[in-house]
Amino acid sequence: MYPLSQLSPGQRARVLQVAPERRRLLALGLRPGALVEVLLQAPLGDPLEVRAGEAFLLLRKEEAQAVMVEALEEA
Amino acid sequence: MSCPRCAPQAPLALKAEERWALVGNPNTGKSSLINALAGADLEVGNWSGTTLERLSAHLSVGEGRVELVDLPGTYSLLPTSPEEALVLKELLQNPPDRILNVLDAGNLERNLVLTLELMELGLPMALVVNLLDEAEAKGLRVDLEALAEALGLPVAGAIAARGQVEGVLEAALGALAPKPPVRYPAPLEEALAALEPSYPNRGLALLALLGEAVPLPEPLLRAAQEEREKLLRKGHDPYLLALEGRYQKAKEVYEKAVQRHGTPSPLTERLDRLVLHPLLGLPLFLLALFLAFRFTFALSSPWVDLIGRVQEVLAGWIAASPLPPLLRSFLAEGVVAGVGTVLAFTPVLFLLYLALAFLETSGFLARMAFVADRVMQWAGLPGKAFIPLVLGFGCNVPAVYATRALAHPLDRLRVALAIPFLACGARLPVFTLFAFVFFPKNAPLVVLGLYLLGLLVGLATALLLGRLFQAGRGEGAMELPPYRFPPLKLLLRLSLARTGSFVRGAGGPILVAVLLIWALLHVPLGATSPYALLAQALTPLFDPLGVGDWRLVGALIPGFVAKEVVVGALGVSFLGEAGLAPLGLLEGLRTLGEAFGHALAGTLQGLLSLVAPVSFSLALEPTPLQAVLKDAVDPMGALAYLVFVLLYTPCVATLAALRQVVGTRWAASSVAYQLLLAYALAFLAGHLPLKP
Repeated sequence: MYPLSQLSPGQRARVLQVAPERRRLLALGLRPGALVEVLLQAPLGDPLEVRAGEAFLLLRKEEAQAVMVEALEEA
Repeated sequence: MSCPRCAPQAPLALKAEERWALVGNPNTGKSSLINALAGADLEVGNWSGTTLERLSAHLSVGEGRVELVDLPGTYSLLPTSPEEALVLKELLQNPPDRILNVLDAGNLERNLVLTLELMELGLPMALVVNLLDEAEAKGLRVDLEALAEALGLPVAGAIAARGQVEGVLEAALGALAPKPPVRYPAPLEEALAALEPSYPNRGLALLALLGEAVPLPEPLLRAAQEEREKLLRKGHDPYLLALEGRYQKAKEVYEKAVQRHGTPSPLTERLDRLVLHPLLGLPLFLLALFLAFRFTFALSSPWVDLIGRVQEVLAGWIAASPLPPLLRSFLAEGVVAGVGTVLAFTPVLFLLYLALAFLETSGFLARMAFVADRVMQWAGLPGKAFIPLVLGFGCNVPAVYATRALAHPLDRLRVALAIPFLACGARLPVFTLFAFVFFPKNAPLVVLGLYLLGLLVGLATALLLGRLFQAGRGEGAMELPPYRFPPLKLLLRLSLARTGSFVRGAGGPILVAVLLIWALLHVPLGATSPYALLAQALTPLFDPLGVGDWRLVGALIPGFVAKEVVVGALGVSFLGEAGLAPLGLLEGLRTLGEAFGHALAGTLQGLLSLVAPVSFSLALEPTPLQAVLKDAVDPMGALAYLVFVLLYTPCVATLAALRQVVGTRWAASSVAYQLLLAYALAFLAGHLPLKP
């Protein structure tokens, strides 16, 4: 289990837990069990573009650190 | 769509007057749906007690009259921003007759979480599954019948942006009071069971249990608080339990209603790889912004000119009339000039609204926020704040309105109060006039320095307000909606409605300000005017800045109306008034005809200039005014004067816009803040150890 911020573009993972006070992240679809993929890093390395389920999200590094994931086998 | 299993429950009869609320996630096409259902009459206003935009429309349904209201997009009834908090507040305190829950067919599972929350409130409800075309492109097919059956509510499919909304009204008319759809994990159900008998509905009991402020009597809230503490003591977080139950149910419904077929077309992903490219992203972003800018100012300036010509002709006709001179002046230089000042903003606003709405609904604005986010983090602001800040360099007024795209009122306030310091186009004539007279060798440097100073003061203001109100890190996480081709009719109508809202909301105050200034300038007071008296009274204040000529000080007063007026006012007080030139009827008509032709030709030229290179020139013809200015003040005084002009209240229109966006009190405070800061920094600038 490690934070989503450690994934590099192209890597996929499954969300294990999100701190409950991060209501916005949960509401945006970063919920336990959701599949996520890091798509891109912004020019300055922050924020990230992440696909969560069917949605494309902008996540700051600091926010991606609050999302704990487990890696998935490359499809 | 029908709902086979809800047969026993008869649909509600339509009342003569009903209010239907559209509720859904952001970017689900709620405003497109209103546009497609209601035809022409979109109304843009404010939510009462707030400065949030409220979009609504009226339509006739059968015998009844329905007001469709677009509630702010939200992911959950448990708010994560004040804009989202408004949704819950409206639904509880001002419940609509029916809820139309709008869902994104391409992201149904997440969208259904909100649906489940809404259903617990027990208000009559129907579902509209929008964006069916996008879902199809993603390889997803939604079985509307199955969805209706799983939830026990009427469901309609729609592609609102293309006007395909058949069945939506029918579904809305068949709206039913839903039954609570979710069974929560046992500990939460037990707590709910203790509350539900005394609560009006399950939704309110759950909200109270989650610690949300709901408008209910004290004993009920206390009971919920006790149950909440009991759960927490046993190590259960009610919020996580509620989420678990809803996710479970949403997944269950999703699996019944959505089939995957074929492979998704990765258009958005591919475009993002280009638009958000680490190297190409930034130049592309600046290019898009530049084009939006060019579009607005190249196409609006011919129409602004036309408004100016119409003003001149009207003034000429009034001058030729047999009215008493003071009344002629009041009509021509007060009323006509005032209305003209308001109208002169409308072409810029309309086009900028159009460009912004295009960028927003096409998905580009969110990408711009992505690219700019890191830089804005430094100022503790969300990435989206970049756009209004850049717009501020064109014109402060639309920039202030553009802050409405920011979700948090504190962010909106911080950016809105920073914008007046950004050197808009109207300040350039003053800058160039003085820079070329007093710093002929370094004129471009002086002008550039002023622009940078404005930006610095603006950002410092945003940072200071953030410190003052202890803004957090600033919310970054947001959705990047898929790329879409926006429905142009909707964009035109929205931009028109928003421009109209400016004229109604800001027009009055601007007119009053112009009339006040007119009175100062033209009401005779013995041998002199109130303007000269006031200017002379204020001049000692400006002595420490090195500005001792009352005519320079006086020109700052009409500068409240608009900054470019400063140059005109200087011309009048240094060189004498030209007076109103009377104009014959025919002559005026001919001028108007020509001016209209010019506007059309200018628009065409503007369109061409979007693709052709732009030439920019700061060169000025020597004018009589330049010659006399040289003797009125020394170069350091001139620099102080320029800094003052840069920083004090940009114009009444900006103030009126601020009042609409952040409220009267903040708008008034900002005037005082600007004046103090302008004075202090002008003083410093005037005492810089420079040798011009």
